[in-house]
Amino acid sequence: MIVFEFIINAISVGSLYALIALGLVIIYGILKMVNFAYGELIMVGGYLLYLVGANTNIPWLIAAVIAVVGAMVVSYLTELVAFRKVREKSLTALLITTFAVSTLLQNSALIIISPRAKAVALPQIFSTTITIFNITTSMRNILTIVVSIAMLVGLTFLFRNTILGIALRAAADDFQMTRMLGVPANLVISSAFVLSGAIAGVVSLFWIGRTASVTPTIGLGPLLIAFVATVIGGMRSLVGAVVGGFVYGLIFSFIGVLLPQVLLDYREAFMFLIVILILLLRPEGLVRVKYAQERVG
Amino acid sequence: MIRFARIPSLLIMVTILLTACAGGQPAAEKPILIGGALALTGINAYVDEPAVRGIQLAVDEINAKGGILGRNVEFVNLDSKSDPVTSSNVGVQLVERGANAIIPAADFDMGGPACREAQKAGIVCISTTASSPLFGSEALGDKVFTLSMWNTTMGAATAEYAFKEKGWTKVWVVTDTFIDYTKSLSRYFIEQFKTLGGTVLFEDTYTQGAQDFSAQLARIQSSAQQPDFIYVSSYMPDLGTIIRTIREAGIQLPIVGGDTYDDPGLFEAVGADYGNEVYFDTHGFLSAEANPRVTDFTTAYVAKFGKDPEAVWIMPGYDVVYVLAKAMEKAGTTDGAKVAKAMEDMEFDNLTGHLDWSDAASGHMPTKAAAIVRLTAGVPKFLGWITPATLPAP
Repeated sequence: MIVFEFIINAISVGSLYALIALGLVIIYGILKMVNFAYGELIMVGGYLLYLVGANTNIPWLIAAVIAVVGAMVVSYLTELVAFRKVREKSLTALLITTFAVSTLLQNSALIIISPRAKAVALPQIFSTTITIFNITTSMRNILTIVVSIAMLVGLTFLFRNTILGIALRAAADDFQMTRMLGVPANLVISSAFVLSGAIAGVVSLFWIGRTASVTPTIGLGPLLIAFVATVIGGMRSLVGAVVGGFVYGLIFSFIGVLLPQVLLDYREAFMFLIVILILLLRPEGLVRVKYAQERVG
Repeated sequence: MIRFARIPSLLIMVTILLTACAGGQPAAEKPILIGGALALTGINAYVDEPAVRGIQLAVDEINAKGGILGRNVEFVNLDSKSDPVTSSNVGVQLVERGANAIIPAADFDMGGPACREAQKAGIVCISTTASSPLFGSEALGDKVFTLSMWNTTMGAATAEYAFKEKGWTKVWVVTDTFIDYTKSLSRYFIEQFKTLGGTVLFEDTYTQGAQDFSAQLARIQSSAQQPDFIYVSSYMPDLGTIIRTIREAGIQLPIVGGDTYDDPGLFEAVGADYGNEVYFDTHGFLSAEANPRVTDFTTAYVAKFGKDPEAVWIMPGYDVVYVLAKAMEKAGTTDGAKVAKAMEDMEFDNLTGHLDWSDAASGHMPTKAAAIVRLTAGVPKFLGWITPATLPAP
């Protein structure tokens, strides 16, 4: 039965990682910019959960909605205030700006709230353990899997069947052409940021759900995961990000169990060895795309 | 005639001044400067920021009682940002400002560099809670001390408690390999536990920031031989993840660790459901059970800051200033060598317990008891002080 418990854990981790990666790649697809401030959106969600929980009696579910909306708003604002101004400049300028935004948000949390880890109140369901057919696992794992998959299905629907989704995909494929066809650039880019913020907000609920606390640097972990996952899966494709997230989560979980004790210290080394092997065999990532456009301004 | 007429009034003035000094009024002499190189930002801030409040409280109290050696005490902290290079730079700045002693960030890597600057300048450097056995005279110099027990004691105390008090003989060890502190703590715990006759079933690792304990959990679950308890050497925020993940899987084994557990953020993070059967040793405890003087301390703290002290880390900051004050009074000077000698010779009754340092030749090893604390339903309870009968070699 241990095997099943482990598999549920691994799927839970994999589906969360897939979601994390998707939030990063939505921006990359259009701007060809790795948003290093992406992790801070997750942090914003976490701090909103903390602030609402610590200062009000608002039920957790509404606090969760506030956290997600807050992450969307902050994501939109970073685009509006910082990235839009430098979009026409070089890619380097844009990258440096994402670092600046990341540092700014992190230090704001540090100064305004605290450098210490702040405990986030979680609903009872996050502290519940269930046993079905002799398999003991946490409700959190089940919730993570259900919500992540629901999000992925919802986003697939959005990308396939709505005008916004089609415009986003078209912009990711060929931005100049999309603009010529009459799609406003600012609208598409802003929508991408809002969507990325929404994903970060949902991720924050489950990321925080594991540790039940939030620190100013909490975004670093998810950012690295998103980055590695998108590199594995293919940075140009939304499907690639999801595949990459799952693969990363599963490899990491299995390595941890299969490595003998003497090699456990080198868990990360083995992890990245596999990543390097994947990249050697498939330099574009696991999922290839038809279009490969240069960055747009 | 006029000049002679002034003599009585001069005498009166001198008398007034002398009375003022004796009566507890600090003299107008240059104040004694205690330089803080504590980290207000970065990973060490969670320990250092509360310590700064403790330091400020002690400085206020000492000034109200007439200062040190009749001189006012001034405390200036420059943020060392949990960064070794900044720590060194801040050390230089403090020395240039004329600091008479330095309190560094509470960690060997992040606080040691400031102490090296203090050592070079011939002034005393004393850490609040740096617990690496490297934090002493051997690695840093004969004017460097730490108020904390070393990791040798911190690891050994829980090993003794588990083995002798609880009768637990089999342990599963998980070590966070991200910083030296967690690695050395596990090492000393394991050494002591084996010396006592305990068995270490497995040594697993974890990396701070991974936020995922599922692989390690699977190993514990699939192990043929079940341990009596799990020793987890890690720190927040991932420590919260580790404990929650273990409890989520329905494992109710006791979880044991060191002073990083002493964090209100952790107590809340594990909460009433998962915060059970968690044991750790730390520097002290914020209640009169651990030390009757805590009551007065809490009253003074509330008067100054308007709220209850929330973390144990405030007390070592408070203690450090009193240790410096007593040592300077005994030495009769702020001269580093003499103050360091006084610190070696004296014994201190601190809020965080009795403390005695060995001489510089034997590393300024602190002899100090560890406070054992247990979490039940997320609430910490003081169990008692433990001084390990034997210690692993540093």
